[in-house]
Amino acid sequence: MTTASPHPSQPPTVPEDLKRNVLVAPLDAISTWGRMYSLWPMAFGLACCAIEMMAVQTARYDMSRFGAELMRPSPRQADLLIVAGTVTKKMLPQIVRLYDQMAEPKYVLAMGACATAGGPFKEGYNVVSGIDKYLPVDVYVPGCPPPPQALLQGLIKLQEKIKSQSLLGVPWYRKDQRNEAVPVPLYGPDIIDPRQIPIIKAELDRQRLERDRQEPEEETGSAGDETQEKATRRAVKPPKLPTWDLTPEPEAQALADRINQEIGEGSVSPEKDTLVVDAQRLIPVATYLRDTEDLAYDYLSNVTGVDYLDRDLRFEVVYHVYATSRGGGPVVLKARADGQNPKIPSLVSIWPSADFQEREIWDLYGIRFTDHPNLKRILLWEGFHGHPMRRDWNEAYYEEPTKPFNSRWPAGHHQLADSRNPYNRNVAYPTQYPDGEEWDPENWDPMEERLSVVDVEEVPHTGMRTQRIMVNVGPQHPSTHGVFRMVLTLNGETVVNAEPVLGYLHRNHEKIGERNNWLMNMPYTDRLDYMNAMGNNFGYALAVEKMMGTEVPERAEYLRVIMAELNRVFNHMSFAGFYTNELGAAFTPFLYAFRERELILDLFEEASGSRMMCSYLRFGGVARDVSEDWLDRARYLAQERLPRKLDEFERLLNQNEILVSRTKGVSVISPQAAIAYGITGPMLRASGVPYDIRRVEPYSIYDRFDFKIPLLSNGDLYDRYLIRILEAREAVKILNQALDQIPGGPIQGGKKAWQTRVPAGETYARIEHPKGELGYYLVSNGTANPWRYRVRAPSFVNLTAFGEMCKGHKVADTVVILGAVDIVLGEVDR
Amino acid sequence: MLGLGIAKGLSVTLKHFVETYIEDLRYFPRRYSEEAMEFRQSVKGRGLFTVQYPEQELPVPESFRYIPFLVYDEDGESGEKKIRCTACGICTKVCPPQCIWIVRAKDEKGKPVSQPAEFYIDIDICMNCGFCAEFCPFDSIVMDHNWKMADYERLESHIFDLHTLLKPASYYQQIRPVQYAERQAGKKKERKGKEV
Repeated sequence: MTTASPHPSQPPTVPEDLKRNVLVAPLDAISTWGRMYSLWPMAFGLACCAIEMMAVQTARYDMSRFGAELMRPSPRQADLLIVAGTVTKKMLPQIVRLYDQMAEPKYVLAMGACATAGGPFKEGYNVVSGIDKYLPVDVYVPGCPPPPQALLQGLIKLQEKIKSQSLLGVPWYRKDQRNEAVPVPLYGPDIIDPRQIPIIKAELDRQRLERDRQEPEEETGSAGDETQEKATRRAVKPPKLPTWDLTPEPEAQALADRINQEIGEGSVSPEKDTLVVDAQRLIPVATYLRDTEDLAYDYLSNVTGVDYLDRDLRFEVVYHVYATSRGGGPVVLKARADGQNPKIPSLVSIWPSADFQEREIWDLYGIRFTDHPNLKRILLWEGFHGHPMRRDWNEAYYEEPTKPFNSRWPAGHHQLADSRNPYNRNVAYPTQYPDGEEWDPENWDPMEERLSVVDVEEVPHTGMRTQRIMVNVGPQHPSTHGVFRMVLTLNGETVVNAEPVLGYLHRNHEKIGERNNWLMNMPYTDRLDYMNAMGNNFGYALAVEKMMGTEVPERAEYLRVIMAELNRVFNHMSFAGFYTNELGAAFTPFLYAFRERELILDLFEEASGSRMMCSYLRFGGVARDVSEDWLDRARYLAQERLPRKLDEFERLLNQNEILVSRTKGVSVISPQAAIAYGITGPMLRASGVPYDIRRVEPYSIYDRFDFKIPLLSNGDLYDRYLIRILEAREAVKILNQALDQIPGGPIQGGKKAWQTRVPAGETYARIEHPKGELGYYLVSNGTANPWRYRVRAPSFVNLTAFGEMCKGHKVADTVVILGAVDIVLGEVDR
Repeated sequence: MLGLGIAKGLSVTLKHFVETYIEDLRYFPRRYSEEAMEFRQSVKGRGLFTVQYPEQELPVPESFRYIPFLVYDEDGESGEKKIRCTACGICTKVCPPQCIWIVRAKDEKGKPVSQPAEFYIDIDICMNCGFCAEFCPFDSIVMDHNWKMADYERLESHIFDLHTLLKPASYYQQIRPVQYAERQAGKKKERKGKEV
């Protein structure tokens, strides 16, 4: 790196003769004072930490008191870049570009462990291990996430630093020290820092030399001390291929017989409770399941790939299909493909909800879906080297196939992962392209998307010509709920096509999850939908308990429901806040919602120890008991405060003329389309489909409570808002019952263990998450680590219909339509 | 009637505006007193909600977890630090992002001793989940309450070594009185059980 840091931590000393300058000294003091108390942060958040950053703006913490009132949506008006959250490689070029666009004086604050050094996601293949490798950082705020007051403390630290900077020493007034723009990283086979190209070239040359040398000789004894050190550690065994009893269950057998009779012998064969479909006949089987009247499997919930490394047919694609008219369990289909050139017919034509999920499988597993309308990478970028979820693909910071790592104990000499990498950062470059061509870091085309005018057409009957243009919104747009990007094709103000571009927060949750042991995934699930940690924990605990057959004691069940419903209330209230923000109603509902959120988070913090990242559930119970005082406060919230606040929300918004005229009749989704696109949760019920997993496939103790499933029929934006308020009311109702009935007793069933072994097998468990159906598909090989860990994220699948919902509406509406999906990027991109 | 909905909404904001001052009057003239703050931050508060950080500070509950630290007991007479950690390695094995490194000490003959020779926590990887403290069989690693850690530098100061991590048991007792008492009682019981 050659670029000098523009903000040296030690202020340069003022020359003696200048110190006596009468004019400069007071000017200096005034200017410094001005800079200190007018730090305008950029409205730009990346992940979980951004939610805490937003909380800092709200009433309880009130950043305005520090003169940092105005969150500027444009980098040109901002002078503080708060990098809040995980910096992914896909997002990195945008962040660097934003920084370059900021005018001096500019400051960078790295908020949270991820922005500082990669945090818990450091090992991930799409995660940058520290924004300071690219931008000069002034203040680091550690924590995961730092509580809002910690950010304020960081801000004060920054002000102290500014106080020490004299006008005479600051680099932006000096010709010789002027800061040059940081070169924007490029999308290559991995992210490329243009400043590193010589190092990359040298390293690749070295690797090629080694490769050529090694080919003739079989083995050259490399590094003697390494082998010696290895002897003292336990041997690293490759993970065991999962196998379990596949005797078909009667139901699966009966259905298989019926399909075989109808479509032809050998189309499906039952394995336990699943049907293995002959890949060639996947489409007729799917059509039969969907269109036969008494089957009517109309809702494809989950599609995922599994890599069974050593099997003949290495890859498997698993489909979980439900019938919305009946409720109950799924029919599970499996299609298999070989490892050489895996191909499976696409099911988008039967169930459109397969669209994004199949693209994800293509991206991460490299399984090609024939006849898919738009088979592009979805989470990574075109040109990324390899398909990272394959079990034989290792990332740059790879250590061992499973955790815990040997290097941590008993001879755990600390070593930064960065220092093990030749580039000192989380990158790896292939010497060759897959087709065998050598990759030259100096001479290649970076993968870039170019957006431009699409075409020119005549407007009928007028003789005028009009141009369609493409407009790019995001990924750092303040109204895209984080790092989401949409590419809109516009005809005037009207949206002709809208395509979401995802992956800017893809932090490799599933890859890391397969290396973790079962319990380690619990805190990681907090960071999926970071507004609803309790809900995420709940789904995961249910899935693992289903495989282990663990009993959960009564009190723990009640605590789980209480936590999940509290979470639902504040999710829906904050939704209303964000949503009206998107309509341009500025801040009021958002501030009101966040006040209630703070009160609920106080309860969470006391029960679990953390405001946002609760990790409160354990397999077979919950982590800590709550006190009687805690329950009293929760009761006061549920009986008095929350109903009152929900009334207030309705009075504030329901009849507001602007809200009504902007949302009524806009972006209508029919019930059939909603089911076909796999929309779940409040959005589905706003379209008039009475499908709530707490009712149709009850889990935990939801069958004991008396509550309604609110249903609205218009399927427009207004209904999508109203249904959330109605659902929050029902959640309060459940809360009241649960808080009344909660029994005493133990909170943990079985023995609490730090390492769990889960019997070999597979399972899919789903819950009604505030955003829709949250499912976990797990495959175990009987050891302490999952073989496959898949999260079926509701907001990811709900986005499938985004293009359809936007078509024909105005540009300004797209923002509201997106808001109504209620996405959280941590969950969309995982 | 057009505008009625907006007027209704504005009545809500007006109510909030008035409520802010009602509590102010109630605690007049000590509106920033501790008592006033406690009420305002509780579920019953309706008025002004702002905590005047850094003059005031929102208290953290006992269970609050931030970066972990290691507990040492002080020998009453000599004041010698007795590290509770036995380098058993459970915290390194349960840590989800694997941010703990332990070097187990060895005696002169090279046999392992139940003491850590080196102990590192990379707080830039730590996810504050508290598993290490939860599963430590010796109650020797505990989640801290100190969140005021913003800093200008990370490569040296954010890798906590044994020296930085050690804190006295009295500090532990001060931040987590209930947990301390519970675990202490549990230990005594265990010792008694062994003696019998």
